[in-house]
Amino acid sequence: MSYVLAKSQNDDIHKAGECGGAVTSILKYLLDEGLVDGVLAISPCDDVYDGVPTFVTDSEDLMKTAGSYHCAPTMFGDLVQKYLFDKKIALTAKPCDMRAIEELITRHKVSRDNLYIIGLNCGGTVPPVRGRKMIDLFYEADPDDVVSEEIDKGQFIIELADGSEEAVKIHDLEKEGYGRRKNCQRCDVKIPRKANLACGNWGAEDGWTFIEINDEKGQELIDGAKKAGLLETKSPADAAVEGRSKVEGIMIKMAKNSQKASFPLVNEMDDWNRCISCYACRDVCPICWCFENCELNKSYFKDEANIPPTPIAFQGVRLSHMSFSCCDCGQCDDVCPMDIPVSLIFDKLQKKYFERTGYVAGVSDDIKPPLYSPEKTEL
Amino acid sequence: MLEIKHTLCPVCSVGCGINVVLNDGDIVGTFPYKRHPVNAGKNCLNGRNSIECYKNKFQSAIVSNSEEDLDKAIADVSKEIKSADSSKVTVICSGNECIEEIEAIKNFAESNGFNLALYADDLANFDEVASYDEVADACKVFVIGDLLYENPLIGRRIVHAKQNGAQIYALVKAEKSVTGNIADECFNGSVDEFLSNNDFDESSVIVFNQIDSPEDLDKINALNCKKLPVFSKPNTKGALSIIDSKSKEELTELLDNTKLLLVFNDDIVEDIDFDFSKISKIISFATCKNNTTEISDIIIPIKTWLEKDGSFVNAMGDAQTFNAVVESDVLSEVEIIDKLNG
Repeated sequence: MSYVLAKSQNDDIHKAGECGGAVTSILKYLLDEGLVDGVLAISPCDDVYDGVPTFVTDSEDLMKTAGSYHCAPTMFGDLVQKYLFDKKIALTAKPCDMRAIEELITRHKVSRDNLYIIGLNCGGTVPPVRGRKMIDLFYEADPDDVVSEEIDKGQFIIELADGSEEAVKIHDLEKEGYGRRKNCQRCDVKIPRKANLACGNWGAEDGWTFIEINDEKGQELIDGAKKAGLLETKSPADAAVEGRSKVEGIMIKMAKNSQKASFPLVNEMDDWNRCISCYACRDVCPICWCFENCELNKSYFKDEANIPPTPIAFQGVRLSHMSFSCCDCGQCDDVCPMDIPVSLIFDKLQKKYFERTGYVAGVSDDIKPPLYSPEKTEL
Repeated sequence: MLEIKHTLCPVCSVGCGINVVLNDGDIVGTFPYKRHPVNAGKNCLNGRNSIECYKNKFQSAIVSNSEEDLDKAIADVSKEIKSADSSKVTVICSGNECIEEIEAIKNFAESNGFNLALYADDLANFDEVASYDEVADACKVFVIGDLLYENPLIGRRIVHAKQNGAQIYALVKAEKSVTGNIADECFNGSVDEFLSNNDFDESSVIVFNQIDSPEDLDKINALNCKKLPVFSKPNTKGALSIIDSKSKEELTELLDNTKLLLVFNDDIVEDIDFDFSKISKIISFATCKNNTTEISDIIIPIKTWLEKDGSFVNAMGDAQTFNAVVESDVLSEVEIIDKLNG
């Protein structure tokens, strides 16, 4: 593992990128050199709150993916395994994307050889509709006038069309029930170190991206993009490395505090009473990959009269199948029509599993998924 | 190539957004549309399965249970129309159509002197309806029907109201219901009793997707509270602004007097308990198989909502436009009507 500061040599990319355009330049290098069939990244569709996964095959189109979108709580794991598993691709990955993909790799649903993963450090994401309401309530700005947003130094910062900025402390927003998604608040994996590269602005000078090079493939990417004249690099000062580490530490500390505050007892939650058995949580889960073969589709689990479904029969099956591998991406919360905080339970069980085995989903180095590792079957 | 495109859910009148996943031009799945103000990326099972109608769409026209050339089938329809007594022809329009199509169907029926009918779940269009935010902000929410289960993304606003401290009163006739599970008080009598035995005021909202009789609608309309009727089809509210609806009884009477039935993108057999064998000829303009196409003499394939541009008006009155997510050479209903008009 090593560190480098990088910025784009291309003026347009440098200007459009969040912090120097290094990520976009590396993706351009991969496409221009024909190393990948395409790039999976986020691009805004209707506005900055509308980040949509976009598969780019022509590097001319990469500009629309430049910049960062904190109001785009997407998940790439299921898109890769369902639709792109047979292609050579590059993708940008938040820590939860990376953790999901890592779990899918251990299940042989995705091949590591087919992937170039440009990790993105992440302090959390904001739900877009709630994010707009938050800006309406806590900022002196019209949500429609926001042209970009970022999370920095504990603040959610918006930039308006006239170039002005407004910032509110995330802590204050979250105290009022806004700010980052609940799962992001308790997430303690902020840097995706399983990715070939982990990029972000923590510790970086203005106009530069701080990159953690996690493996040989990552180093080849940096070297290749430099050789192609797309990337300029320099070594970060010790203070920059320390600064980045400090930011990560603060984020993790906040997450640990949030973990303590967010865990009610399951039997004290009446949320399950409103489950409509729509399986949205299962279907969106990047770790659930059985699809049509899912046991829950079997006739003995199909009891239309059993509304709400007995938690032990529905969530119990899912918990026993994959909670050990839950990467706390929060997609199940996001898509639940009844706003049941599903991820809370799954993440809680993953953390209990961690306490017993030391296994962190999508982070630990085990080559087999939980319950397949001989030393863990005794549990 | 993988693409994700925005569209609207066509399942009910809530008006949820949904993303469609395309791979090399084929529709292969759905993806949460989290930016959509109505549902924030949440869709019910029916909504997520809505793309099945595209996968199972009719590939050709069908005449007397056999595949037929489209032009020949349309000519057959034209012949049937021309030879029929116009007073015995009934055109069924539905809330599955977008605004532009409803206007075309209405003009088609009126210019030919046909009867025109729209079934709106026995509900009606109120001049003013509650917004979804007003449901969430109400102090008391009165619910008729299992809204949480049948229209979950309005049901979610009822959950929000409860979380905001509202009292929830539910009339649900099933022995068990999800709405009943969260209600403070449950009733299982008639709508009339439910309306008579509760106190409604300006801080209340009544949300309903069913009633017992037309008189119930008058009583609901007279209540001193906000109202939100929720229809079973995506554009019934829009259709009601163009065509007056008919009750089940009125429809039955009309069908009794019908010899040629033209059904545009609807499953009237599912909605109305009637002996359709009494009708001499049934022609369906449909996207995919349903109970009505099963008994139709002629089926003309039409574009699914995924193949056309249009707009739906949702239950709270917001007109939402959508664009085709796939190219298609299937004719739209407007194009078919143009051909029928010669």
